[in-house]
Amino acid sequence: MTSPHEGPQEAPIVPPPPGTIADLFQEVLPDVEFTATQGAGDVILIIARDDVPRVLRTAKDEPRLDLKYLRCLLGIDHMEGGLEVVYQLYSFTHGHGVTIKTRLPLDDPRVASATPIWKGADWLERETAEMFGITFEGHPNPVPLLLPDDLTDHHPLRKDNPFAQMEEWQGMRLGDEASKVGHIPAGYESIAGEGGEEDGG
Amino acid sequence: MAVEEADRDEVITPSRPLTGLEREAERLRPVEVQHPHALYREVLPGIIQAPADYLLAMARKSSLWPMTFGLACCAIEMMSAYMSHHDLDRFGIVPWASPRQADVMIVAGTVTKKMAPAVKLLYEQMPNPKWVVAMGACATNGGPYTRYDRVVQGVDKLIPVDVYVPGCPPRPEALMDGFIALQEKIMRDRGSIG
Amino acid sequence: MATEVERELETLDINVNVGPQHPATHGVFRMVLTVSGEKVVDVVPHIGYMHRGAEKLSEGVDYRQGLIYQDRSEYLAQFNAEMCYCQAVEKLAGLEVPERAEYIRVILAELNRITSHYMFVGAFATDIGVYGTAFTYAFREREYIQEIFEAVSGDRMMYGYFRPGGVVWDVTDDFKDRVRWVCGQTRVGIDDIDRLLTKNEVFLSRSLDIGCISKEDAIDYGLSGPMLRASGLQFDLRRAEPYSIYDRFEFDIPTGSRGDVYDRYLVRMEEMRQSVRIVEQAIEQMPDGPIMPEKAPRRLRLPPGEVYMRTENPRGEYGIYLVSKGGEKPYRLKIRSSCLSNLTALKQMIVGHYVADAVVILGSVDIVLGEVDR
Repeated sequence: MTSPHEGPQEAPIVPPPPGTIADLFQEVLPDVEFTATQGAGDVILIIARDDVPRVLRTAKDEPRLDLKYLRCLLGIDHMEGGLEVVYQLYSFTHGHGVTIKTRLPLDDPRVASATPIWKGADWLERETAEMFGITFEGHPNPVPLLLPDDLTDHHPLRKDNPFAQMEEWQGMRLGDEASKVGHIPAGYESIAGEGGEEDGG
Repeated sequence: MAVEEADRDEVITPSRPLTGLEREAERLRPVEVQHPHALYREVLPGIIQAPADYLLAMARKSSLWPMTFGLACCAIEMMSAYMSHHDLDRFGIVPWASPRQADVMIVAGTVTKKMAPAVKLLYEQMPNPKWVVAMGACATNGGPYTRYDRVVQGVDKLIPVDVYVPGCPPRPEALMDGFIALQEKIMRDRGSIG
Repeated sequence: MATEVERELETLDINVNVGPQHPATHGVFRMVLTVSGEKVVDVVPHIGYMHRGAEKLSEGVDYRQGLIYQDRSEYLAQFNAEMCYCQAVEKLAGLEVPERAEYIRVILAELNRITSHYMFVGAFATDIGVYGTAFTYAFREREYIQEIFEAVSGDRMMYGYFRPGGVVWDVTDDFKDRVRWVCGQTRVGIDDIDRLLTKNEVFLSRSLDIGCISKEDAIDYGLSGPMLRASGLQFDLRRAEPYSIYDRFEFDIPTGSRGDVYDRYLVRMEEMRQSVRIVEQAIEQMPDGPIMPEKAPRRLRLPPGEVYMRTENPRGEYGIYLVSKGGEKPYRLKIRSSCLSNLTALKQMIVGHYVADAVVILGSVDIVLGEVDR
């Protein structure tokens, strides 16, 4: 089980300063709902799931944006908050980049595929699909990329997927005090930090 | 007396200058040939007796041909061990790509569940006698990736391993140490291998 | 009288499995080539044989421990991967890296770029058929640089030397002299391999106009690094989006024009020379001082936020998308792998060439399976 954080906290939405690419997007697509926030590096735009194909297509084709380079495509599991798909785009001609995110509900994780727009999205979407269980509609070849074909019953990167058990150490039986993860041998308590892994055997 | 004197080589002590013919004869005198004689022919009558398994084990350990099975990062250290800085060729170890002619399988790297059938197939393709060296922490027990459920926690869950070389990755010297341990194991187990 | 004889031959397209265990696949990579005669008609790459879950496991360890997975995923350019990770954590945590640590990081990262490109040249030449000569040269030169790495960090390969905030301990006293010596030695080594390979007729005939990819296709597929530069786009992250202190150094960006295998080789050889230039400048400018910030916290707790940090790795753009929701462990750590994106273009590059060229083209992509599969 992944270790519980002290309650996961969301980052506050900080609107970006004027003049960034968020304004350009708002100009080019005035009827699409954006939530723009300034991340630690790039501007992040949060859009609704159904706007995704239009926004991505415009981002690539519109000459003022010209975001022809898909850098990264990933998924995030927000547990109750649903799944999220993140697109990281960059433009060589203008030198600007943007992060586009969209949330998917847990019971219906479908989103339009970006493969018709960028050819490089092919494998990235395959990987995100098998890791999270997201269906990319319109993907030409939705087979698993990294996982073996016959072992795709669960999705590894979801938060409810546990880590494997460490095998028992040589000579010790599972259940012995010394074989528990995080056990500190006698005499070493002073230099061991407090905490360590909370999940045991 | 006369016979002995005739046997000895003539030593010329010139009392007059040598003629041309004599100088030429001196120059062209052939060397003294000492016929080599094998000591063992005097000690043994031309036959060495040794146990067959001893000879076979010595032959096998001196020319272990590993199948190149570098999976991950340990493969780089394995290649470093083959190269000129830490030469493994001086032990008779020549990397050989085909499993059909290899003796040793060095599992260098993490074995994942996707790769597991290939590992087993390659092991079965190797002819007997064969040995397996599990190089690195990942092949020993899963290593730093042991908590992921798509990783086989150690290659000894699939195939029998003879030598474990710990490290992440083990130094080339450690791999050499592993090979020397394997050679000692081959000699020690010579009675039980065909 | 025309003597054109047309014959209809019934042929069968064969699937050739260049399987996971193969001397030329640079690790556990499998591609199934469909060949018609000798020409390749279709390529289906299969990856995932080295998928070890670095991203999932990074969520279970804290930020200092997570460094080990970066080493082991990009196991030929470890310092560059560590640098990306440390910079991502520093960006979110707001840590300032002291000057000396920055210089040490840049020097080690560039030396690592040189060792990685040496490995490429050796493996690529072996794929083409040189089989061992260039490989031995390359490894001999790598050993010189690896000795410096070992003296600095304690390990020959998985260094774990960078920390969020700086580096873990200071370099040795003879570091500057050793680095200067190794720079001179590297120039000699590069010239050695250059003399052996670059104008060699067999090498040229096997690599000119093989595996071409155009600039537009390269951008569409998401290629980066030497592959993108060989196709004609002069883009280097160290120049376009400078991170660390790369804006203080002068270096050129080698760019190809044809986008073929030979151009990629030339671009990487020239990059090695430029890296030596950077190292020489950095070693002159390196100041004394601390190597970790004074108020570095013992346990790193990052505020909630997201960042996408990218660096110019020897193979392309290596990126880390780090999502933090407070706490000591990352919530989601995604590794943007340069080799995975470079591999998506494999089918377009190989189809139409001969079987023997397929191996050469794969070698020119310079994949590291630990990064492709993570």
